[in-house]
Amino acid sequence: MAGADNKSGREPKGRDAESIRQRLDKLGQQLADAKEKRAAAPQSVPEARGAALGKALRLATELVAGVAVGGFIGWALDRLFGLAPFLMVVFLILGAAAGIMNVVRSAKEMQAKAPPAGKGPPEVVDDDDD
Amino acid sequence: MIEAYAAGGAEHGAAGGGSLPNPMHQFEIKRFIPLELFGFDASFTNSALFMVIAGTIITLFTVYAMRNRALVPSRVQSVAELSYEFVANMVRDNAGTDGMKYFPFVFTLFMFVLVLNMLGMVPYSFTVTSHIIVTFALAAFIFLGVTLIGFIKHGAKFLKFFVPEGVPLVMLPLLVVIEVISYLTRPLSLSVRLFANMMAGHTMLKVFGAFVVALGLLGGWAPLAFMVAFTGLEILVAFLQAYVFAILTCIYLNDALHMHH
Repeated sequence: MAGADNKSGREPKGRDAESIRQRLDKLGQQLADAKEKRAAAPQSVPEARGAALGKALRLATELVAGVAVGGFIGWALDRLFGLAPFLMVVFLILGAAAGIMNVVRSAKEMQAKAPPAGKGPPEVVDDDDD
Repeated sequence: MIEAYAAGGAEHGAAGGGSLPNPMHQFEIKRFIPLELFGFDASFTNSALFMVIAGTIITLFTVYAMRNRALVPSRVQSVAELSYEFVANMVRDNAGTDGMKYFPFVFTLFMFVLVLNMLGMVPYSFTVTSHIIVTFALAAFIFLGVTLIGFIKHGAKFLKFFVPEGVPLVMLPLLVVIEVISYLTRPLSLSVRLFANMMAGHTMLKVFGAFVVALGLLGGWAPLAFMVAFTGLEILVAFLQAYVFAILTCIYLNDALHMHH
């Protein structure tokens, strides 16, 4: 279409350029709209739901594993040194601490990686008082 | 008719006497080819058979899908390319560009666990990943490998990984112990998550499947409807667990390569 226009009317060069610019502007606007739309919905709902379920499953076991490993280490050291229940108690508590630390750490990682959608630009919250 | 039903029930672990079939029967290991190596039981079991099937499926799938290497991919080829891109992006996002060296391993691992989980969803099949010894072996291999990579890459400096920064000296011994325990939880949480999800899901399916049969034509519809929905969820879980397993491998690799929390 543009080619035909060009051939038929040679003299109105300014108007031709004008129309091309207009069309470019329109196209640019459409592109910006499409980009905005895509940015607004970065993940489809089922996909986001699946990712959230994956994260939940991850956190749940991490907490339990800490206590289990702590308890096992304590039990093994108890057997080694013959200090019956004491080391196991100590390491159970340490294991619980390790489990909680694991959960907090991976939750922080997830938060840093994926800010909640639709709440403006990603904000980096440094909420530990160091 | 009744005899056949009873025989079928016995085959699926019914204790007899009209009780429901045992939901744990499906996890039983059966020896197909008994074999003993150096005092260890290395028999070819149903578990081993399904691992071989999974390996064969993955190899055939990838080789067949990429046989043409067309610029415009066919349907199979685009599935293979999608799975490649999916894992490649996962590795790049979580372990960085230098983590791509380990892409073949992560891809193999992801496909293996995924196909094993999905094979488990086929009726009458065996779910290899519902045995903790299998998942723990995988997790322990990853754990040892990642630790070795850390020590090879950073030498003795890798021990700094266990020393948190900016902590008063008094607290340091305690925190180092906690850090070491938290590092040691990795293989356990990795293996328990996969095994527990698969075993719990398949037990639930079996229990509700038994309800359908037990309640019969009159009352069996409610558990049947639940089963349909739950089967869908189980397929999602089968995929998600493979995904989580692979993504955690990438995260652990990242820790070993770049050494920061």
